[in-house]
Amino acid sequence: MSFTSWQYGFFLPLVMALYWALPWRGRIGLLLVSSYIFYGVWDVRFLSLLLTSTAIDYFCGRAIAHQRVALKYVLLAASLPVAWLVGCKLWPGRGEAVTGWIVGAGAAFPILFVTLYAMLWRLPEGRQRHAFLILSIVNNLVVLGFFKYFSFFAASALAGLARLGWQPGWTLPHIILPVAISFYTFQSIAYAVDIYRGKVQPERDYVTFAAYLSFFPQLVAGPIERPAHLLPQFQKPAVWNVEHLHAGSRLILMGLFKKVFVADNCALLDNYAFDPKTVLNAPWAILGVVAFAVQIYGDFSGYTDIARGSARLLGIELMPNFRFPYLARGPSEFWQRWHITLSSWFRDYVYIPLGGNRGGLGATLRNLWITMLLAGLWHGANWTFVLWGAYHAALLAMYRVVPGLRRLEEGQAGFNPRTLFAIALMSAFTLGGWAIFRCASLSHLGAWLTALTRWNAADGLDWTRPGLWLLLHGGILFLLQWVARKSLDEAEVAHVPWVARGIIYTLLLLGIASSVTMDQEFIYFQF
Amino acid sequence: MNHWTTKAFLLVVALLCGCELIVRVCFARSMSGRFEYGYNPASGFREKTDGTVHLVRAGGRRFHPQSFARKRPDGVFRIMVIGDSVPRGPSLQRAYAHRVGELLRAQGAQAESFNLAVPGYGARRNQIVLRQALKYQPSLIILHLNGSNEFEDERDWQRAREFQSWHPRNWPMKSLLLRRLHEMKTERLFWRWLPQEIRSEGAANDAGDEIAAAHDPEKTRRWKDLVHKKTAEDVALARQAQVPLLLLTQARCERRPEGSAVLDDHGLDSMARSLAGETVSHLSMKEVLAGTDPEKLFADGSHLRDEGHDWLARAIVAKLRREGLIRSAQ
Repeated sequence: MSFTSWQYGFFLPLVMALYWALPWRGRIGLLLVSSYIFYGVWDVRFLSLLLTSTAIDYFCGRAIAHQRVALKYVLLAASLPVAWLVGCKLWPGRGEAVTGWIVGAGAAFPILFVTLYAMLWRLPEGRQRHAFLILSIVNNLVVLGFFKYFSFFAASALAGLARLGWQPGWTLPHIILPVAISFYTFQSIAYAVDIYRGKVQPERDYVTFAAYLSFFPQLVAGPIERPAHLLPQFQKPAVWNVEHLHAGSRLILMGLFKKVFVADNCALLDNYAFDPKTVLNAPWAILGVVAFAVQIYGDFSGYTDIARGSARLLGIELMPNFRFPYLARGPSEFWQRWHITLSSWFRDYVYIPLGGNRGGLGATLRNLWITMLLAGLWHGANWTFVLWGAYHAALLAMYRVVPGLRRLEEGQAGFNPRTLFAIALMSAFTLGGWAIFRCASLSHLGAWLTALTRWNAADGLDWTRPGLWLLLHGGILFLLQWVARKSLDEAEVAHVPWVARGIIYTLLLLGIASSVTMDQEFIYFQF
Repeated sequence: MNHWTTKAFLLVVALLCGCELIVRVCFARSMSGRFEYGYNPASGFREKTDGTVHLVRAGGRRFHPQSFARKRPDGVFRIMVIGDSVPRGPSLQRAYAHRVGELLRAQGAQAESFNLAVPGYGARRNQIVLRQALKYQPSLIILHLNGSNEFEDERDWQRAREFQSWHPRNWPMKSLLLRRLHEMKTERLFWRWLPQEIRSEGAANDAGDEIAAAHDPEKTRRWKDLVHKKTAEDVALARQAQVPLLLLTQARCERRPEGSAVLDDHGLDSMARSLAGETVSHLSMKEVLAGTDPEKLFADGSHLRDEGHDWLARAIVAKLRREGLIRSAQ
C-alpha cells in the first residue's frame, strides 16, 4: 500500500482510531496485523520472509542475551512462514505464484533453524553469544543477498565467462525483489548487534518484537530505526496527546507536498532526460540531473515525513532522515544530512567495526572505500550504484586529503562567501553523483557525459520553459526550507506566526491538489 | 497544547472554504474541463459576453483556436466541419475546412468556414459537438465520418463516467476550487511549458489494448453499430434544426499484399447512403479520390497531405454547387 494511495487515506485514520481506543496489549496486536496488511497488499507471499526474519532475530536476540527458549516454541515460530506459504498456495487465484520449490524451502527452514539453534546452545558458553550473532547476521545477509544480488552477480559472472569464450547456456531464474527487504534486514542486524554490544535488552514478547520489526510507517523505506530508539516505544504504552495529531498531520502534509507537488513534477523532466532513447544536449543533461536531485530529495524526504507523521499519529516518534542535505559544505556533512539513518548505520555497523579512523590515514581511507562501496551496492544491484558509492568514497577521501577542501568543509558555518562557495562546490559534486545514480547503465552514463559537450541548442528540445517548470516546483521547496531553516526539524515550520503557518499550509494543500493525479512510485521502494 | 484545533488549522479551513465559495460563485460557468474528456455539451466552446464564441481545448484535446459570432451574420454562408484528426488537418490553414471557405470566397460567395474537428473524437463526441454547433446557426454542417476512433471514444466515455462517481479517488476533484486549480495548472503550465516529448512520457500508453480491441470481431461490430446509430441520431438532429448536413465518409489508404495502395471505406459509404435524403447529402472520399494516386494524397493510412485536403475541398465546393446548397444561401 502506497502512502499516496487513496486506500492509505482510509487505512491510517482507521488504524489510528482503533489504536487509541484499544488497551495497550490490543494496540500492539493491532500494529502487527495492520503492518502485515500494509505489507501484504504488495505481495502476500513475501510476508513469509518477514516472518522468517522475525523468528530468527527474535530467538537469536534472546540467545545472545543468554535467554534460552524451549525448542517447541522455536519450532512453532519457525513454522509460521511455511504455514503462511501453504495458506497462499491454497488461496484461490494465488496458488500459481507459490511454486513447490518455494514451499519446499519454507518447509526446510524450521528443521534447519531448530537444528542450528539446538546445536549452537551446545557450544562452550563463551562462544554461544558470538555464534548466535553470526547466525542472525548471516541469515539476514543471505536473504538480502539472494533476493537482491543473486541475479546481478550471476548475470555479471555469465557475461564475464562469455567474454572468455565460454557460454554455458544457463537460464537464470527470475527473482522478484521483495519490497522493504533492504530496510528491515538492516534493522534486524542492528537489533542483534546492539544486543551483543549490550546497548539494548532483547524483547521477550514475540508479538511486540514482530510489531517492532514490521512497523508499517517505516517498514518499506525507513527510516532505519535503532532498537534503543524504537523498541522502548513499543514496550510502554503511549499516552494520548493532541500534539500527536497536530505534529503527525503537519508531517504528513509536508511529506505529501514534497512527494506529489515537488518530486512527481520534477520526475517528468528527469524521466525524459534520463530515458536512454533521448538524444540530449548539454542544457538538457544539466536540467535533467538538477531535476533528479530535486526529485529524489522531495521523493525520499517526503516519504520519510509521511512515515514519521503516520507514526506520530500513533504516538511513536521515528528518527529524522534528512537535514537540509543540499546545504552541505562537503561530503562528510552531506552524509550527516542525507539519509541519516542509513549513513549512521553504515558508520556504526561497518565503518567503525572495520577500524574507523583509528589506524592512520591509509586505514581510514580503506575503511571509507569499503563502507561507501557497500553503501552504493545497498542501493541496488547495478554497477552504476557501485560506481556511485566509489564516487562518494573518492569525494570523502579527497576532502580528507586535500587541505583546502577540508578547510572548506570544516570552516565556520554561516552566510558568508566562503560557505556559499563550499555549498556550491559540494552541490556540483552531488549532482555528478546523482547523474551516476540515475543512469540505467555505465554506457548510458557515458552518453550523458558526452551530452555535456553538446552546447548547440539545435541538438535538443528547448529547455527554457521546462526550466521554469523545475524552478516552480523545486523553488517552492527550497523557499519552504528557507522558512524552516531555524527549525530543528526541516519538515517543521511550527516556529513561524500562526497566520503565516495557516497560509503556508493552505498553499501546500493547494499545491498537492494541483498535481494530485500524477502517479509516480516512491523511488526508494525499489531498494 | 490541549485544543483539538489550532488557529493555523482554523485559518486553513477558512481560507479553503472561502476560496471554494468564490470559485463556485464566480467561475462555475466556465467549467468544462479535462475530467469530462469532451463529454460536456460546452466542452471547448467558450461563449464570451461580447457575443462571440471561442474554440479552445476540450477535455485535454484542442480545437484549432478560432472565434466567431454566436449569431450568423446576415447573408453569410456558415460552414462547420465536425470530425476527428483527419478533417482537423495539420493546421487550421492547411485543413480542407479552411480551404472550402477560401474557395467559396474566391468564387464570390459570402462564406465562412470553421473547423470543429478534434483529434480522437468518435461518433459519441462528434454528436456532442454537433449539438453545440447547431446553436450557432450554421448554414451547413459537414460531418466527417470515420470509424477508427471508437476505442478512444469509449475509453474516455468510461473515464468521464468514472470521474462522475463517488469513488474516493475522485473526492479531491469534487471541490471546484481544487479542480479548477488542477485544470488551470494543467492548461496554463503543463501544456504550455512542457514539450510533447515530455508530456507523452507520463501518458498512459494503451496502444496494445487498442490493437487487441480492433481485432476483436465482437467489439468492431458493436462499434460499427454505434457509429450507425449515432450518425442516424445526428441526421435527425440536423433535420430537426433544419440545417443541411453533408456526410463525408472517410476512406483509408491500405496497401495490398503486392504493394499497391487501395482505398477502402470500411462500409461507411453504404451506411451514409442509407441515411442520406432530404437536407442530408453524402460525399464519399473513396469516390472523390478514385483515379488518383492515394500515396500522393495520404500522409498515412488515414490522414491527408495538403494535396489531399485541397482535392477534398474542391470536391466539397463542387458538391455544394451541384446540389444548390451554396446558391440558396446567397
